[in-house]
Amino acid sequence: MDLREKLNILGDAAKYDVSCSSSGSKRNSPKGGMGCGHSSGICHTWSADGRCISLLKVLFSNACKYDCAYCVNRRSNDVPRATFTPKELINLTLEFYRRNYIEGLFLSSAVIGTPDYTMELLIKVAKELRLVHHFGGYIHLKAIPGASSRLLFEAGLYADRSSVNIEIPSDKQLQYLAPEKNFASIYRPMNFLAERKLEYKTDKSKYSPKFLPAGQSTQMIVGASGETDFQILTLSAGFYKQQQMKRVYFSGYVPINADKRLPVITTKPPLLREHRLYQADWLMRFYKFEYNEILDEKNPFLDPDLDPKVMWALRHPECFPVDLQTADYEMILRVPGIGVRSAQLIVSGRRYSKIRLEHLKKMGVVLKRAKYFIYNNEVPRELHRLYPEMIRPLLIAGKPKSDQLDLFDSMPVALPAPANNTQTAMPLPRIAQPTSALPITRIAPSTPTLSIANN
Amino acid sequence: MSLAIHYDSTFDGFLSAVFEIYRQHLDVTSFVAERPYEAEHEVSSDLFAQPFHIETSDESARRLKRAITNAASKDVLNLLETCFRSEDAGIEMNILAYLRKLFAGLDPNYGKNPSSLEMIPLITIARSVRREMDNMYGMVRFNKAPDGMYVAEIEPKYDILEMIIGHFRCRYPNGTWAIIDVKRGFGVYYENYKTHFVTVPDPSYISAHAPPDEFTRMWKSYYDTMAIKERINPRLLRRCLPVRYWKHLPERSLPSQTLGNRGDSRLQLPSTIAKSNAVASLMLKQSN
Repeated sequence: MDLREKLNILGDAAKYDVSCSSSGSKRNSPKGGMGCGHSSGICHTWSADGRCISLLKVLFSNACKYDCAYCVNRRSNDVPRATFTPKELINLTLEFYRRNYIEGLFLSSAVIGTPDYTMELLIKVAKELRLVHHFGGYIHLKAIPGASSRLLFEAGLYADRSSVNIEIPSDKQLQYLAPEKNFASIYRPMNFLAERKLEYKTDKSKYSPKFLPAGQSTQMIVGASGETDFQILTLSAGFYKQQQMKRVYFSGYVPINADKRLPVITTKPPLLREHRLYQADWLMRFYKFEYNEILDEKNPFLDPDLDPKVMWALRHPECFPVDLQTADYEMILRVPGIGVRSAQLIVSGRRYSKIRLEHLKKMGVVLKRAKYFIYNNEVPRELHRLYPEMIRPLLIAGKPKSDQLDLFDSMPVALPAPANNTQTAMPLPRIAQPTSALPITRIAPSTPTLSIANN
Repeated sequence: MSLAIHYDSTFDGFLSAVFEIYRQHLDVTSFVAERPYEAEHEVSSDLFAQPFHIETSDESARRLKRAITNAASKDVLNLLETCFRSEDAGIEMNILAYLRKLFAGLDPNYGKNPSSLEMIPLITIARSVRREMDNMYGMVRFNKAPDGMYVAEIEPKYDILEMIIGHFRCRYPNGTWAIIDVKRGFGVYYENYKTHFVTVPDPSYISAHAPPDEFTRMWKSYYDTMAIKERINPRLLRRCLPVRYWKHLPERSLPSQTLGNRGDSRLQLPSTIAKSNAVASLMLKQSN
């Protein structure tokens, strides 16, 4: 098998890993070598599905001994198998890097032999890149669950970032879908790496060696098992706090394997749900939201029609309208339609001049959303007298429909619809009705079809 | 009589022009940058304004820079220069409007205010110039020439070549490489830890000298496999990677090769997969 074919097989096998960032490491090119770390990361290209490619993301081998239901490389799957030699992979990385195709290497592997043996192979590649070729680019190494702590530690010395994927957000489901794995075996390497990184952090000297300078990340699959969004957010908030994760990725489940434990193979990937989860994730990382503010036990799912920030604002009418001239930065950040940059501009500019609508427009604030939530002389007073139930359809009205209507959605459903939402079988147009004082319930034409699929 | 100021298209040239505008109390309606790569007839000129050429003077540019630093700050000066690189039509008048307000002295805090009506558009323009600079860090593609030199061609919207050199010097300190701005007909050549600016009248000669090689083709086929078929989203792709950059990216401009592309294995019949597996295992045996 020639190198190109290997690269195709092993790149194809690795593409379902969504982690793509090359950020968090700042380093000058080593003496006699090449490559530097750019702290904000660099995207090199985008594939046809719109995902960024910044690292050469490959598996070392896809000849796996495990049999996880959701994975394309499970041993019971009939796919072409290949394994790199360390030399081939190193050469490929260096040549791609010289042509500025990539920012570095993202190396993962199926488990071949024992976890320790696999981990040793990954470390060998990273070590040789760093020590023999003086490679200063980004290296992301997967921590293989079950590898010994000595090897994990060694990986941390050469890699910028390491990750262990939790994949399924609840222990029970994980053990059901991946019989060889459980939460304990995934948390152990995560905690170990987080602790070592903390120890290294206390040493502030410029010359002391670094341990995983870009931290850890993880990923979970959305839509393969029955978790709620609230469970997923709770789990990821825990990762950010306890394991000091830099990123938690969500991967909308793409059906690869026909397996009776998984959703049927014709399911479409839940792209909208994934998008909303990322929005919620952004709120936690950049907008100072807590996970339990975004969702709670009673509302365990994110709204498909509106983004989580708007949803929070509509649930908390007592916090609005916000006076941009005097409010705290944290409060301005929570106004729908105002992002981090605009909030910073407002806070640093309002000392010198009054912030008018004209300013907001030029800054790029989305006034269409923000006008219901800010207090300003130029905003009509009537907008502030609206109840949240009235604002909701106004915000949805301007948007294109979140889910494409297909033939069967608009058909009357033959099966009896669930008793509590009989009216949803009719595809009602989502037109704003600002004068109505009744709380307007959400109209989702696709609900009946979904419930049939679940039955 | 209103004037159209002609200057040599450099930032110093623009500052000298502003300096002269203040010194001679000129009434200006537009600026015309005389760019060497644009032919005379392409330069749009105002019918009703009289052309007026101003020579670049280092001394007056330096004095104006000092004045801006004193009245506002060093950051503002950098921001103005970044905006100027956008080469947008009318950017000179925007900057001039800002400078007039700044030097009028009506508001002593004007230089510190980031949300003045003249400043906000400049901030947005500078942001898009910096965004293209950041994108270009990733989108320069080198081809290897037979003599071991790495050559890249770029065609950025804004004049950002000078802003990205530092990054590549840091990245490939020991190599020999050149980056050429095809649109503006100049480039930078790096050898023995030194950078040289060169004018490139005919870039096609260089691309013929360094054709795509085996690694370029491997990159292309790797790129094709990375897309998940179920999630293909052309709109998102074009938003992230605008079509104007595709010409110089091998992964988008080279023809795609179906051979060896396993991306659609799920769409194949089981028998086809079994066949290709048999071929793969045969090849494995042979290679061992």
